[in-house]
Parts: sequence; structure tokens; C-alpha cells
Amino acid sequence: MKPLPPTLTVTAPPHAHCGKTVKGRMRAILIAMMPAALLAVHHFGMDALRVMCLGAAAAVVAEFLCDQIMERRSQVDDLHAFTVGLTFSFLLPASAPWWMVVFGSAVSIIMGKMIFGGLGGSPLCAPLVGWAVCSLSWPAHMDINASMLTSELNYPLSQLKHFGVEAIKGYDLDSLMVGRQLGGLGAVQTGALFIGGLFLAIRKHIKVGVSVGMLAGVLLTAGLFRMADPAQYASPMFHLLTGSVIFGAFFLATDPSSSPMRKIPAALFGLTAGVLVIIIRVYGVYPDGTPYAILLANLAAPLLDRIKPKPFGKKAAGRTLT
Amino acid sequence: MNKLWKEFSKGLWKDLPPFKLVLGLCPVLAVTSTAENGFGMGMAVIFVLTLSNLLVSLVRNLIPAKVRIACFIVIAASLVVAVELLMQAYVYPLYQQLGIFVPLIVVNCIILGRAEAFASKNPPLPAIADGLGMGIGFTMSLTFLGGLREFFGHGQLFGHHVAWAGFEPVSFMAEAPGAFVSLGLLLCAMNYFTNLQRKRKGLAPIDGPTHDCGSCGACGSK
Repeated sequence: MKPLPPTLTVTAPPHAHCGKTVKGRMRAILIAMMPAALLAVHHFGMDALRVMCLGAAAAVVAEFLCDQIMERRSQVDDLHAFTVGLTFSFLLPASAPWWMVVFGSAVSIIMGKMIFGGLGGSPLCAPLVGWAVCSLSWPAHMDINASMLTSELNYPLSQLKHFGVEAIKGYDLDSLMVGRQLGGLGAVQTGALFIGGLFLAIRKHIKVGVSVGMLAGVLLTAGLFRMADPAQYASPMFHLLTGSVIFGAFFLATDPSSSPMRKIPAALFGLTAGVLVIIIRVYGVYPDGTPYAILLANLAAPLLDRIKPKPFGKKAAGRTLT
Repeated sequence: MNKLWKEFSKGLWKDLPPFKLVLGLCPVLAVTSTAENGFGMGMAVIFVLTLSNLLVSLVRNLIPAKVRIACFIVIAASLVVAVELLMQAYVYPLYQQLGIFVPLIVVNCIILGRAEAFASKNPPLPAIADGLGMGIGFTMSLTFLGGLREFFGHGQLFGHHVAWAGFEPVSFMAEAPGAFVSLGLLLCAMNYFTNLQRKRKGLAPIDGPTHDCGSCGACGSK
């Protein structure tokens, strides 16, 4: 078991540590997800708890095995794998079969994180990789309406997609906010997730620019469609509170390795994701466009990262991006 | 004989075209959705590769160096047209499955690569051995990759159900992204085993492609 080679050599001793660790950040994210997890258990019963436990456990085991194969010192105790697994299970319907949860969670870790060299190397948001593989492979089990027929709740986004704006008249925003809707089991607890997201933002664990940009993108685009034809398009608040927009804005898009670093690129990144969500919801085949929107924005992140400030002392007209 | 066997066998593992040389990826990614398609494509490539190696080797002293690439392409193109017509005549369903990728064998990197790197410098017999070996290696890889994707994507092998009763096919593997992912994972596994072998022999592990410059020479270092 050889340790990771040092990639960054720092000299000139007295150093101060800001005190932030990966483990601390992950712990904060888990605390922020806790209310949503509790609400999910409240709405969907023990099935939700089963999916979440399986997802988190499978992710930790997968990362440990990867570390063994790659002959690295295992770092599963930094809680990142646990968070990825839990995040992935938040996107699944509560009825997901056990093998799909295990497979998707392992794929999230293996193909979304370890293949790129572990924590911080991935160009894509890890849980979404597993989600995309599962939803391409088993559309029947990932289809929230078809797999949750026994529930008395409904999936508002698919009703909007198939029956138009008339069908969603019955939803009031309050019940949407406490999660009285179908969708990813944790991702639809929008109110709880919003509180968790605010907690993370205040504690500066996430880049606020990404979240604000994404929410603004959703609200603006949905607002434009609504203004164009209120009889055909749903209101911005409806789009904000259904599906996994809030979850995506605070927990998925803010993944540090797959989002741009600086403030302006981060805000643009969020905006791109937000606009894409509504475009996919209005024109695409998927009822909830959030996961794919964020994956697409992830791919644009290296481009957005090229927006940099001028190096000090460089002439204004000079070409700075080389 | 020993030399011929050496030229023949290097295509089977040491310089296995798609995985070790990483050449001809276009058909590898596109037509391996089932084992049968991969096998059919491989047979077409064996035919073209062996004959083009033979022809190029025969005319290697007649071709002026400056126009050699154009000559290789003309030879490969005429052979591919022959394959295309033969496939239309005898295995039309397979021809329809492979579609544009049969004519695209003309510009397949393996054909041109072997003509340039091997056949144009060697007498006919080794050239045939090289072409056959590479072609068979290519066919094996394509069939294996196709079989893998067909098994996971449809639960079948060569069109027969082989998976257990409750198996839910991972349709992801049969679609386009599955090709990239399974190719990457296969490359990963092959490098892992190569390094494991080297470790057992007491050699240092290697990063990146494992072939020597003899099989490429594109950078002009020779």
C-alpha cells in the first residue's frame, strides 16, 4: 500500500491551515441533506431508507475495492464516497430494485470518480454519471410514474409534459415544498433541501455563484416562457419546486471538481445549467431535465474556466490567454 | 518459418490492433453492438488487410516514395470494393447492418498503417503473415468486444439467449456510450495485466501504449 506521490511541492515553512478539511465539508453536506432524508422516509416509508442505505454502502465498498486495485492508501474515511452514494440514491425513485441501486452507486464511484484518479479529478458530477447510466439502461425502473404506481402522490413534471398546464392546476406550492410529490426520493424534498443549501452557503462550503446562477437561470427562462404564453407553460415557481432543481443547484452542480473555480465562470456555469433545465423540460423527452442539464454544463466548465483576470502588469491589449 | 510465426503471432497479443496499437477505433466503436457484427467486420478486414499487404509488398520496389500513400489507398480501395460486392452478393443482411463501415475500411488506420510500416519494407511472405495475424487479432478483439456488449446489453451471444432468467439487460452497454466505456475499461484491464506480468518478471511498470516504434514510425524517428 504505497502512499500517493506528492503532486504539489510547497516550500518556505511557516504555513497556516485554514482548518477546512474534506471530511469536515462532507460532514456539513451530510448534515444539510439530513432533513431531506428524514422527510423522504416520512413520505416514502422504509423503502426510501433502504435505497439510501444501499446506495451509500455500495459507494463506500466500491471506492475501497478501487483503492485496493489501484494500490493506493484508501481514503474512504473522508466521507466523500458516502456522500456520493447518498446523493445518487436521492435521485432514484423509492421503488428502485436493490441491484440497480448497488450497480448505479458503484458506477458513480468507479466511472465518476476513481477512473479519473480519485477525489477532485473528475470532470463530471459523480452521482449524475451513475444516474445517467441507470436511466439509459433501465428506463422502466427509473421511470418515476411507472415504478411508483402504488403511491397516492403524483409526478407533477410528467403530468406537465404529457397533459399540459391544465393538469398541474391542483398543485399548490406549499405542498410541493414539503415534498408531497413524486420524483427522486430525496431530490423532491425541495423545502428541506433549500434550508440545507442555505446552511451550506452560509458556512461557505459551496460556491454560492453556482447555486444562484442556476436558480436564476431556471426562474428567468421559465418566466420568459410563461410570459410568452401562460396557457401553455407552467409558472417559474412550479419549475423551481418540482423535480431536482433545488437539489441540483445546491448539491450537484456545486461539486468542486466539476464546476469552474472563479466567481463569474461559476455563475455562468450555473446559469447554463439552469437554462438547459427548462429547455429540456419544455422541448426534450425527459420530464425532469436537471441531471442532464448539469452534466452538459459540467462539460462546458473547462471552457468557462478560461475566463480569467488579467495577470498583474500585463498590457491591456495583450493576449493573456495562452 | 520461425520469423513468419513471429510476424504472425505479434498481431494476436503483443501488437493487438485495437487494444495495443489503438488503431482502427472507428469500426471498433461503431459496429461492435453485437458479436456477429464484430465478427463480420473482422472477416472483411482480414480479407482486405492480407491481400493489401501482399499487393503492397509485391509492388514495394516499383512505387515512388512520394506517392506511396496514394498507391496504398488505391490498392486498399479496390480490395474494399471487391469485399463490398461480395458481401452484397452473399451476406446481404450483415452488409446492411455494417452499413457505411464497410466502405470505410479503405481509410481504416490498420490497413494503411500495416502497408506503410510493414508491407512496404518486407517481402511478400512475412507481409502476408503480418496481415493475417493483425486481421485475426482485430477480428478476435471485435468479436470479444461485441460479445461483451451483446451479453450485457441484450443478454444474448450471437443472437442466442444465454443470460439467466431474471437478468435485466444493461441497455447502456449496447448503445453508443457503452462502446466508449467498455473499450476504455478493456484497455484499462489489458494495461493492468501487462503491468502485472512485468512485475512478476521484475520489470518496471509502463505507462501508456506498450508497442515499440516498429509498428508505427509515424513520428519519423527512424
